Amino acid sequence: MQALGAQSSILSRATGKYRVSVVIDRCKECGICIFVCPTKVLVKSSVLNKYGYHPPDPVNIDKCIGCRLCEYNCPDFAIYVEKVV
Amino acid sequence: MTRQIHPLDKHLRLERIPTLYCPGCGLGIALGALLRALDKRISEGTINPDKVLWVGGIGCSSRMVFYVNYDAAHVIHGRAIPFALGAVLANPDLLAIVTGGDGDIAGIGGNHLIHAARRNVDMIVLMFTNFVYAMTGGQVAPTTPRGVSTTTTPRGNPEYPVNAVKLVGSLNANYVARASVTTPHYIEQFFYKALGMRGFRFIEIVSTCPEIYGRHIGLRDPVEMYSELRKRVKYKHKPSLEKAEIDWEKGIVIGEFVERSNPSLIEILKGVRS
Repeated sequence: MQALGAQSSILSRATGKYRVSVVIDRCKECGICIFVCPTKVLVKSSVLNKYGYHPPDPVNIDKCIGCRLCEYNCPDFAIYVEKVV
Repeated sequence: MTRQIHPLDKHLRLERIPTLYCPGCGLGIALGALLRALDKRISEGTINPDKVLWVGGIGCSSRMVFYVNYDAAHVIHGRAIPFALGAVLANPDLLAIVTGGDGDIAGIGGNHLIHAARRNVDMIVLMFTNFVYAMTGGQVAPTTPRGVSTTTTPRGNPEYPVNAVKLVGSLNANYVARASVTTPHYIEQFFYKALGMRGFRFIEIVSTCPEIYGRHIGLRDPVEMYSELRKRVKYKHKPSLEKAEIDWEKGIVIGEFVERSNPSLIEILKGVRS
């Protein structure tokens, strides 16, 4: 049986300016988002998703400049950046 | 059930996500950029989402039509362009978008590519170049650089590769551009521009394939292959066709090579322009 809310579990962190959200079960741990981030916001987490991959965690969210390079370079629609209003 | 969370979720068939692509495959990056451009056109009201048709042949990149929430057709190997041509001739209001790999479009369907460009058929062809037939196990493709050992050329590829941008640009195509998955904003920009034009529009997107091509050239890690491709990609503003080189050693030139306003096949048939 599929776990409840299988695709909707989100790892999200926000500061006063930006919120970075990771859709945990879509991530395939390719590491491109961690590589392209210019301010090194993302770090590989110890969370395991249902396919056995480790999604990234926006630990250093206070450094986020909202460039959305992680969102643009994610091959699996797993990460997105929003402006906090 | 699935619920929309990502900003592009309304364009995707969420029951099919996550995609079949290997971790770090560049096709997903390109699909995101294409959908962002399409979303922009739809929100401006210049494109009706009910008139969009995606056509794909066989291959990883052709499977992209499985994941988009639009009318889509999955046809036999190399015959995506003839299918789109038939659809456009039957219903000229359709916006046909053909996706395929280098093996599907330039190899098996190479003849169809040449003649669709010559006739300036109203369609957008997106060719994803990963330099190898990836889904079938890494055989040599028409774009494979010389000397690369693949499954079918274990002592190195002895043949010269095809340059699809130069080929299509020498014909009657209205728009020819090349982008790379390491520059998703250029994919978005070029596709946005192509969506607003008529005639044959060809965009080559250089993609990363860490699982199959990376195995042949020794770059198995997705991040390593992404950074190696990013080092080789050079953007030039409106370069000429002679500068359209695609070579792993000398560099990959991206940009908009050809922009014409020749009458398209539908315009000629309707008698709008001759």
